[in-house]
Amino acid sequence: MPIRIVTTHLEFEGQVEEVRVVLEGEEPPAWGPDTPFQVVGKPTARVDARERVTGAAEYSYDVQLPGMLTAAGLRSPHPHARISRLDASSALAVPGVRAVYSHLNAGDFINPSSGKPVFGNELLYHGDLVALVVAETPEQAREATRAIDVAYEPLPFVTAPDAALAANAPMVNTAVPSNTISDEYPQVYQRGDVEAALAQAEVTIETRMETPAALHNSLETHGGAASWDGSRLTVWSSTQGVFGARQQAAAALGLPMTAVQVITQYMGGGFGSKLGVHRSGLLAAYASRQLGLPVKYMLDRTEENLDAGNRPPSVQAYRLGAAKDGTLAALDLAVIHNVGANGLWSSPVALPAKELYQCANVRTTDRAARTNLGTLAAFRAPGVVEGIAGLEVAIDALATELGMDSLELRRKNFAERYQLLDRPYARKMLLDCYRIGAERIGWETRDAEERRYPGGRSGHLRRGIGMASQLWGGDGGPPAQAIAKLLPDGTAVIITGTQDIGTGTRTVLAQIAAEELGYPLERVRVELGETAHGVFSPMSGGSMTLASVGPAVRMAAVEARKELTEVIGQLAEAPADALDIRNATVFNRETGAEMGGVSTYLEQLGGHEITAKGMRGPNAEDVTVRTFGAQFAEVEVDIGTGAVRVVRIVAVHDCGRIINPLTYSSQIEGGIIQGLGFALTEQRIVDERLGMVMNPNLGDYKAPTIRDIPQIDIVLLNEPNVVANTLGVLGAGEPPIIPTPGAIANAVGHALGKTVTRLPLTPDRVLDMLSTTTERS
Amino acid sequence: MSSPSSNAASVSTSASTTTIHLTVNGRTRTLSVEPRRTLLDALREDLHLTGAKPGCNMGQCGACTVLLDGEAVYSCLALAIECQHQAITTIEGLAHDDQLDPVQQAFIDHDALQCGFCTPGQVLALKSLLLRDPHPDDDAIERAMAGNLCRCGAYPKILAAARSLAGRAS
Amino acid sequence: MRPFEHLTVQAADEAIQALAGGDGGNTRLIAGGTDLLPLLKDGLVNPGRLIDIKPARALRHLTFDADGSLRIGALTTLAEIERSSQLAERLPLLRQSVVDAATPQLRAMATVGGNLLQRSRCWYFRGPFDCWLKGGTVCYMRDGENKYAAIFDQGPCRSAHPSDLAPALVALDATVSISGPAGSRTTPVAEFLAPPTNDERVEYRLRPDEMVTEIRIPAEAIAGHGVYLKAMDRRAWAFALVGAAAQVTILDGKVARARLVFSAVANVPWRATAAEALLVGQTLTPDLAAQAADAAIAGASPLAHNGYKVPLARELARRAILAAANLWTETN
Ligand SMILES: Cc1cc2nc3c(=O)[nH]c(=O)nc-3n(C[C@H](O)[C@H](O)[C@H](O)COP(=O)(O)OP(=O)(O)OC[C@H]3O[C@@H](n4cnc5c(N)ncnc54)[C@H](O)[C@@H]3O)c2cc1C
Ligand code: FES
Ligand code: FES
Repeated sequence: MPIRIVTTHLEFEGQVEEVRVVLEGEEPPAWGPDTPFQVVGKPTARVDARERVTGAAEYSYDVQLPGMLTAAGLRSPHPHARISRLDASSALAVPGVRAVYSHLNAGDFINPSSGKPVFGNELLYHGDLVALVVAETPEQAREATRAIDVAYEPLPFVTAPDAALAANAPMVNTAVPSNTISDEYPQVYQRGDVEAALAQAEVTIETRMETPAALHNSLETHGGAASWDGSRLTVWSSTQGVFGARQQAAAALGLPMTAVQVITQYMGGGFGSKLGVHRSGLLAAYASRQLGLPVKYMLDRTEENLDAGNRPPSVQAYRLGAAKDGTLAALDLAVIHNVGANGLWSSPVALPAKELYQCANVRTTDRAARTNLGTLAAFRAPGVVEGIAGLEVAIDALATELGMDSLELRRKNFAERYQLLDRPYARKMLLDCYRIGAERIGWETRDAEERRYPGGRSGHLRRGIGMASQLWGGDGGPPAQAIAKLLPDGTAVIITGTQDIGTGTRTVLAQIAAEELGYPLERVRVELGETAHGVFSPMSGGSMTLASVGPAVRMAAVEARKELTEVIGQLAEAPADALDIRNATVFNRETGAEMGGVSTYLEQLGGHEITAKGMRGPNAEDVTVRTFGAQFAEVEVDIGTGAVRVVRIVAVHDCGRIINPLTYSSQIEGGIIQGLGFALTEQRIVDERLGMVMNPNLGDYKAPTIRDIPQIDIVLLNEPNVVANTLGVLGAGEPPIIPTPGAIANAVGHALGKTVTRLPLTPDRVLDMLSTTTERS
Repeated sequence: MSSPSSNAASVSTSASTTTIHLTVNGRTRTLSVEPRRTLLDALREDLHLTGAKPGCNMGQCGACTVLLDGEAVYSCLALAIECQHQAITTIEGLAHDDQLDPVQQAFIDHDALQCGFCTPGQVLALKSLLLRDPHPDDDAIERAMAGNLCRCGAYPKILAAARSLAGRAS
Repeated sequence: MRPFEHLTVQAADEAIQALAGGDGGNTRLIAGGTDLLPLLKDGLVNPGRLIDIKPARALRHLTFDADGSLRIGALTTLAEIERSSQLAERLPLLRQSVVDAATPQLRAMATVGGNLLQRSRCWYFRGPFDCWLKGGTVCYMRDGENKYAAIFDQGPCRSAHPSDLAPALVALDATVSISGPAGSRTTPVAEFLAPPTNDERVEYRLRPDEMVTEIRIPAEAIAGHGVYLKAMDRRAWAFALVGAAAQVTILDGKVARARLVFSAVANVPWRATAAEALLVGQTLTPDLAAQAADAAIAGASPLAHNGYKVPLARELARRAILAAANLWTETN
């Protein structure tokens, strides 16, 4: 097969990256809009659902090996402190305890991701790791963490980002001479002349949006189990990327990558926070090597919420200028990010402001502070969820100021092209999303008296309808590989290095392969979640999994089928292109005659397995691929109690071709529900005086329950995007969460006649909003 | 060492390891635990029944839900030693000879799961409701399922699965 | 959680004996365990011995006596209260107070006795802070993150009482029966639950060698009608931001007896006696309910982040009073 090295571009969360990839062979032509399908596009139950409903699915937390020990972490009870004394003798005396690791005896263990010791003696935030206990049982390990005698020397700390950036602020880390991420900050993006345009604008408004730190709270915490066989290490890691995890583990333990195997058959959610192996996985491997026994270290819920990342808080200040007819003239956004103690990046909160609306004069300024709080991690559409909430609320406020319908204002400022690189979008269905969503929610009657006041004007209920737009990448990209094997018994195995993080990856990959092979779904087995197969796939993040791995699987299946028909043709003495395969049975294309099952041929080959490779080809150049969408929310606010109930969400997203409408709708619903939590209930609460997190648990950190969810209407557009990849798919993992908080905030704003400036909209905030007088006309 | 004796007077157990008998999924299992061992840890660590999941260990997530005499409880907040006289049902005991329980089948058919970590608890919570009330309305379903968080947000599909079992289309 | 000895008893007297033989605070009763186990896991209590009282079946019952009064065994679970059709009919307030408490799984385990004895949910108390309630010198809530704090000042501590059941019991003039080595005593729930003091940094008054055996509700209280309204941060599985229990008896068109009790506004359930006084002897109207609600929050001294509780308590009070008299509708 011809080998080519091509340069292509990947966009991940607002950053465009150039990558060089090796390609073998040619991808098949894209599935067109009229391609007929047997399996693809049909609602399909998950191929691994049985394991998940019977308890048979083995998560990292469930791994049990002979002699396995359990670890538990002791966490800093201070926002910033130096360990002045640490005496583990009482902990070591707890029955069953095998070891206590800290900077005293494990200070040379380096985390390759940060280049810093895993155990430092300067603790940078509440929840930073002080020591790790390894014991025979979980009870012993946890009991012993309390028995460690530690003296802390408290150091000055800072948790508010503006305070951290002020002159003479305490240093978040005494080893780092500044609280900014790097000298690239403040980051300024500019086109046109914002100040001049604002000065000349007929109408100007200013709005503000403060968003909270949200905690992922994947139901399975971070962690892993590790076991050594001589100098070979196996890590069962709750991760979104087995290959990245392998690389980190190999680097941390000083091993060649070939000596490390990472396994993630099932994992209990990540939402962006589990892109690697995490300190906990590295520590399990470290302790296991020291002690010569398998070790499992799964964070407890408190550790998870203090030390496994967060969607960082943002403060966004908008200034908008427009002509009286609604034409947007200027958009200025200043963002302050709070990236936590070890944050090395900030999220693309400003992305929507740069891109969503046609505007010649745009400036965004990102300032970012490190603080004595847990470090940020990617969280389902990082930055863009917050940015859309801020921008779309500002647009609604502008519409009110202009006396214009807010949807009309959005249409008026529709951006035809991708303004940052001045090039076309491969496709932009946003106006369709607006139209369909508006119709479904009944946008026209949103101001009708009986709709706004369900109990009459003197009653305590107010309804409001609001909407927000969504944009995201999600077209995937190389490198991603797959292997298809056709076994003599007429079954097929698809091998990839991706993982199913709950999104249904196993199922859609099986569907794609079954479709191309002409096999029934039950005959296709997808093997993933292991590095040992050596078939590389990227991490499952950025809504790229299906769009990256799916085309590789498809190509492998297409190649395998070619070989299959070739082999059968020779055995049956018929030309290969006269053969059709349906339901794993061979047919003569011309006569329609059935020629027996594929296994009758394959079994003649002495155990030979047909093996074919597939890989993801390069992305299209000179065009920007995006998913666009919109959500419309209807809410009911009890003005007596401040309670907000979301009644209904209408979701219209262009996610390209839908391979499995069943799991697709699950993704959309899941995103909306997390977005609803962000809008209404979820927030990390920090006592700024003490620098401590008050709610690192699932009791006081309130994720939505089944009683909090609205009716959700999903509109399936199902339009293949043939420019994006050979399947025509776009990611669906992140798009659904993006507009939800903004839509809810605008709906609440509509209900109350006010502009929302802070999330989440808990009853106390709503009551406070109601008691302030600034009405919006 | 203590033995379970339902009518006897008080039974005293030292803080160290002791033998207890649990009836799990219809079988009597004998295990040796400290009094502080929770039912969740006994199931997972001693009996290797890992279907009940530790999501929080504090009664705040529902992933550890099992049935005690048909009643859904959080196994992280029960001491194993105190569950010797009740029938314990875990997710592993719900299917019979390859025949899934209707609740399990409905979860599959309606895609009432994503990552699946909360799923055993969800299935058992719904099972417990249906044992008490075979035809619950939406309000009863939502109330019965309010003690099981699903961070992936499978709730609409869980509701659909429950409605289908309650004999009502969704 | 430290290791502990474990004792199982079959009856209250065995428990009392065992408590007497124990060493004061080192022994703890365990009922449903839903509060005790989290406290043990967090290391907030570290008893050397637990006494499991669940097998004492005689303490698990709901009995309406011939005189119309109600007795509830201390080991009765919240789920049993929730599912009692008798209570649904004769004492809706009590049933309502538990339906939105915790979750079905917790209600299946949680007992009435344990519910009254549950400790504060204040996050400084539960977290790694040496707060006053735990024996320290400072109530961090006062100047800290106090959105869930009490709005009425009852002493050094500003934590808000978490129970939904307790205010309902206070509104029903319930008494609690307590057994100890010296015999039994009975005390009103309203006194049994008392703000923590310097010497007794707990929210109840029970000696370490005593146990709760029963709750009694007099017939006069049951004769009325009542509701419990609970405001929460999410629609389930949350402690009350504010809860309001109202029980009203109307005779000949006039209020004959009125109780209005809040959860989560003070260290213990807060009875709004001034509001009750305004109601008694009057014809209940929306205006009167509003006046009573205003009176109910008089004297509140909110902190930096819990000011919202004042209008919230007022509104819940107004609605609860009206609903107790079947006067509440969507349009008021
Ligand atoms: C996540 C969560 C959410 C919750 N939400 C709510 C809510 O919304 N509303 C609400 O009202 N409650 C709520 N609770 C509290 C719950 O109702 C209580 O934990 C429960 O009622 C305690 O009863 P128990 O039988 O489990 O007590 P246990 O945990 O067994 O005991 C609690 C305390 O009482 C003592 N004790 C128990 N019984 C007796 C007795 N008979 N005599 C003397 N001492 C005794 C024990 O020694 C212990 O000190 C919640 C709890 C949790 C964990
Ligand atoms: S693990 Fe038991 S409720 Fe979360
Ligand atoms: S399916 Fe992932 S938590 Fe419920």
